[in-house]
Amino acid sequence: MTAAGPGDDHGSDLAGPLAGLRVLELTGEHAQFCGKLMADLGADVIKIEPPGGQETREVGPFLDDEPGPERSLYFWHYNTSKRGVTLDITKPEGQEVFRKLAATAGLVLESFPAGYLPSLGLGYESLSASNPGLIMCSVTPFGQDGPWRDYRTSDLLHLAAGGQMASSGYDAEDVPDAPPIAPGGGNAWHIASHYAYIAIMGALYHLDFTGEGQYIDVSVHEACCLTTEGAIAIYLSTGEVVRRHTGRHASPDMSPGIQHATKDGGYINTTRSGSNLTPARVKVLAEWMDSHGLAQDLLDEKYQDPAVVEESGQHFADVLKNFFANMPLMEAYEGGQELNFPWGAVRTMSEIVGDPHLEDRDFFVPVEHPELGREFTYPGPAAIYNASPWRISRRAPLIGEHNDEVLGGELGLTKGELEALKKSGAI
Amino acid sequence: MEGVRVVDFTWVRAGPWAARWLATLGAEVIKVEWPENMDMLRLNRFTVPPGVTPGPNSTGQFADTNAGKLGLSVNVRHPKGLAAIKSLIAVSDVVIENFSSRIMSRWGLGYDELRKLRPDVIYVSMAGFGQTGRQHYFGTMGPAAQALSGLTHLSGLPGKPPAGWGWSYLDDTGGMYGAMCALTALRHRNKTGQGQHVDLSQMITGITLTGSAFLDKTVNGRESRREGYPPGNRTVWPGAPVVNNYRGPIAAPHNAFRTLGGGYNDWCVIACLSDEEWTDLAGLMGESGWASDSKFATLDGRLRHQDEMDQGIEQWTITLGKYELADRCQAAGVRAMPVQSSEDRVENDPQLRHRGMFTKVKHPMLGDWKFQGAPFRLDGAKVAVKGPPPMIGEHTTKIMGDLLGFSRDELLQGYEDGVFWPETTPRFDYVQQAIDEEAKR
Repeated sequence: MTAAGPGDDHGSDLAGPLAGLRVLELTGEHAQFCGKLMADLGADVIKIEPPGGQETREVGPFLDDEPGPERSLYFWHYNTSKRGVTLDITKPEGQEVFRKLAATAGLVLESFPAGYLPSLGLGYESLSASNPGLIMCSVTPFGQDGPWRDYRTSDLLHLAAGGQMASSGYDAEDVPDAPPIAPGGGNAWHIASHYAYIAIMGALYHLDFTGEGQYIDVSVHEACCLTTEGAIAIYLSTGEVVRRHTGRHASPDMSPGIQHATKDGGYINTTRSGSNLTPARVKVLAEWMDSHGLAQDLLDEKYQDPAVVEESGQHFADVLKNFFANMPLMEAYEGGQELNFPWGAVRTMSEIVGDPHLEDRDFFVPVEHPELGREFTYPGPAAIYNASPWRISRRAPLIGEHNDEVLGGELGLTKGELEALKKSGAI
Repeated sequence: MEGVRVVDFTWVRAGPWAARWLATLGAEVIKVEWPENMDMLRLNRFTVPPGVTPGPNSTGQFADTNAGKLGLSVNVRHPKGLAAIKSLIAVSDVVIENFSSRIMSRWGLGYDELRKLRPDVIYVSMAGFGQTGRQHYFGTMGPAAQALSGLTHLSGLPGKPPAGWGWSYLDDTGGMYGAMCALTALRHRNKTGQGQHVDLSQMITGITLTGSAFLDKTVNGRESRREGYPPGNRTVWPGAPVVNNYRGPIAAPHNAFRTLGGGYNDWCVIACLSDEEWTDLAGLMGESGWASDSKFATLDGRLRHQDEMDQGIEQWTITLGKYELADRCQAAGVRAMPVQSSEDRVENDPQLRHRGMFTKVKHPMLGDWKFQGAPFRLDGAKVAVKGPPPMIGEHTTKIMGDLLGFSRDELLQGYEDGVFWPETTPRFDYVQQAIDEEAKR
């Protein structure tokens, strides 16, 4: 695969599945991931930043650990394939330009505080008056109404209120008095972005058959609350609240441990070694362990009785624990998988980058940063669309990189008009 | 999504959750099952309410995960069953499954076959490692996929084993991606008339969700296995270098604190993203106290004295209930929220109550059951599930007869032959009733 550069449509000639959809994105951490998902699938996503650039450019890590608005790897990660313009929508002349842009768009994706855009005269009613097919999606912490509407949040706060923390943490024997743990990565925003994406696609489907746009009000909080798998169902069914366990599902009971340390200091996740085993599978496992002299009593005939297998979850966990303590991580993980045990090594990017399976799927995408004269490897797609490929068409935009191209060339503002906007600080 | 028909071969969580959202948006989703190889969620013993007869139609977790679908029981390993499924696919828009890689091909239902039945079909496969690549046959459940994708390592305290995610995050999220793939391909089909195969990998989904960790490795060469990482609930662990952060802005305080009562989930989180927010928090805690010390006035200072600061904050938070604490902080412009358990979200969360997160729907076994709605409103309207989940095989005769035009005799013969219900599995009353009604036609 050749490197993607600005405007370069590398690889296949086929357009992405969202080709032809123009998106105006006015959002930072809340929903810029939603914009990336669409941009990499072919939508023309124009990121509108305030003059000087968005605050997410100040979030690390930074290229070579030197901060700077064009050096944020955080910003780079979330803004691939987008074009960037600067626009001060608090100024009347900026609002005028925004209205013109919105008339050319299929979707406005925004995450200002509830009520902010309408207060500038840029709410959905106003923008859709001349563009009835327009879809507008607001992604806000709690939605457009309700007692918590104006509460200020962060990724951590959402993972607390959304229930992620109440399910994640440690068994007391691993870490006594451990707090509930918020997993990293910024996933409150990812969770919200996924639901926003689904709502937008539903609205596009409706548009394709009716010509009608609509207004979508996404709540980050509700999205997070929907993302704790069985915790709610367990409570509704039994009244029990789940308890946190190290490296496995929170549950009302004390389940056997499934995450074990390996000989080389890694960890392997074995996904409930007891409850999914049948006598035949115990035998397969025991024979493998025996070839390393570590089967203990698992080859014993008694484990050919399903009832004994069912009762022996804790014992299997203990034997496995000892087995893994004597096996290197990757050998344990791949050996198990070859025998059909759906185990996972706890990997970091050191093991993921260069993984041959991922290489087979063209997961490692070279992206050119021409202003630096360098090329970096970006993560590729989760899904391969065989008729309309995912691609990173360019690295994240520099501040105002496409002002002339979008506002001048495409929107038709004259050089004089652009100059005036620059002078007034609107772009 | 009205008018879209989805053939849903999925099971357990990720796949059914994907199709559940297609159903919630209005698609007709037909869940294809076989009682001898039951969806594991139908057997989930943790979610059978007391007093409800256990069985495949009685689990709360299956109910919410499959709300609004129709239920078809058919044996695709029987030639007549396979033929029936093929005739269903011929009149459907989307086929979605989350079996191990290439199982569908073995049944004669790979993409090339599907395309012969319906040229513009959209086929979404959701295997753990995908359908291509040398390890495509590797299997995953949520926690294993999380481990392999790098997500598990992002969660925990430094120097301890990974805490990981206390649920199958990549089943929830894998489900999101399954729905996203189907919807995206439908959009493409609307524009071009063309269907396609979308080959999703649950494990790979997780890699991008590690945020900037990937680029920190490929651009800066930084290892994630390092001192002070992961930093618990903080942005930077005390003493560790302030070189990066995968959570968002570097901030202090940024932690969980115990609240009044000291119960298992009596915790709140507080994050100050600016010096002003810290000043406001210090004001709330009492101006004259320790917090007004100038060593805490800057982010650098607060990071340097994080342990002392966090202990001081907890001495205050332990005196207040978690909701009162969050309300007081928010009123002063300080970011704070309670750690909410499942019970809190169902019973105590005023925002979810206001927005109508749960909708009661009548369920044949569970009675009036609370179903989770969508986290978005469309043109101001709440989006709730379209109905209860199907009992296994509940709609077989309707789908086969009304939709596909099977004659009465073909249907009855199918039940005789073990095509629509296993010969050795007792028929539930509703299955027998449907057969009896068919016989009377």
